[in-house]
Amino acid sequence: MGLIARVIETFGIPTICVIGLREIAERVRPPRAIHLKWPFGHPLGEPGNRAQQLCVIYIALQALYTVRESGTIIDPGWRWRREEYEEPDRWDLP
Amino acid sequence: MTDFDWLRQRLGSAFGQFLSQAPELARLWGQWFDAVEGQPVPLARLEKPLREARLALVTTGGVHLRAQTPFDMHDSHGDPSYRVIPADTPVDELMITHDYYDHSDAERDLNILFPLELARELAAHGAIGGLGTCYSFMGHIEPPHVETLIRQTAPEVAGMLRQEQIDAVLLTPA
Repeated sequence: MGLIARVIETFGIPTICVIGLREIAERVRPPRAIHLKWPFGHPLGEPGNRAQQLCVIYIALQALYTVRESGTIIDPGWRWRREEYEEPDRWDLP
Repeated sequence: MTDFDWLRQRLGSAFGQFLSQAPELARLWGQWFDAVEGQPVPLARLEKPLREARLALVTTGGVHLRAQTPFDMHDSHGDPSYRVIPADTPVDELMITHDYYDHSDAERDLNILFPLELARELAAHGAIGGLGTCYSFMGHIEPPHVETLIRQTAPEVAGMLRQEQIDAVLLTPA
């Protein structure tokens, strides 16, 4: 996935990757990444947990504006099934 | 497919499923991945506010329309092709072909892997400027198909994204 992001970015389109394996991202170095140490197949969280999914999308889109250095990996530290999420109420980024 | 390819595919599938259950092993495996190590990392800038930005989704989770040819699970080196997913595709017309991870939860709620419905909602509410055509790959790709991905199929997708004037792309893995 990081390889695809790099290609898209060379076409002038900013990308944000949600990643589960930091070690792979450190090798492939996608332009920007959100690291969530969650099970494979669950990059945005648990089925039915809309607030969690929207929180991941929000923090990912936010990174499109905040990351200034290529290869940056943001780790929000959200633990699997041990966090409470609230739907973002404002999306006026940046 | 030769017996050797079949065995490789079965072992690869079992390995992928095992990695799903053993993240520490997966992290160790990741340390061997060095396809583009040392090459410069590009960084484009998003110049417009989110409410004006047209977004596209790209996943490597093996999502495709039921009417499309599934990803090739017989080639043990993977499948570097992609599928075009129109932004208005009903979710019940989508399925997942990817033997290298457990996608049973994603089949219950595709938003955990490929948030097409949520992105459509964000566009409808004006949080994003719109949702463009989306794309899907099958993330288990080994040499020699990595070269095809980098040189052919990923640039094709990037070209279509640019042609559609997409401003930003959210990528989600398996």
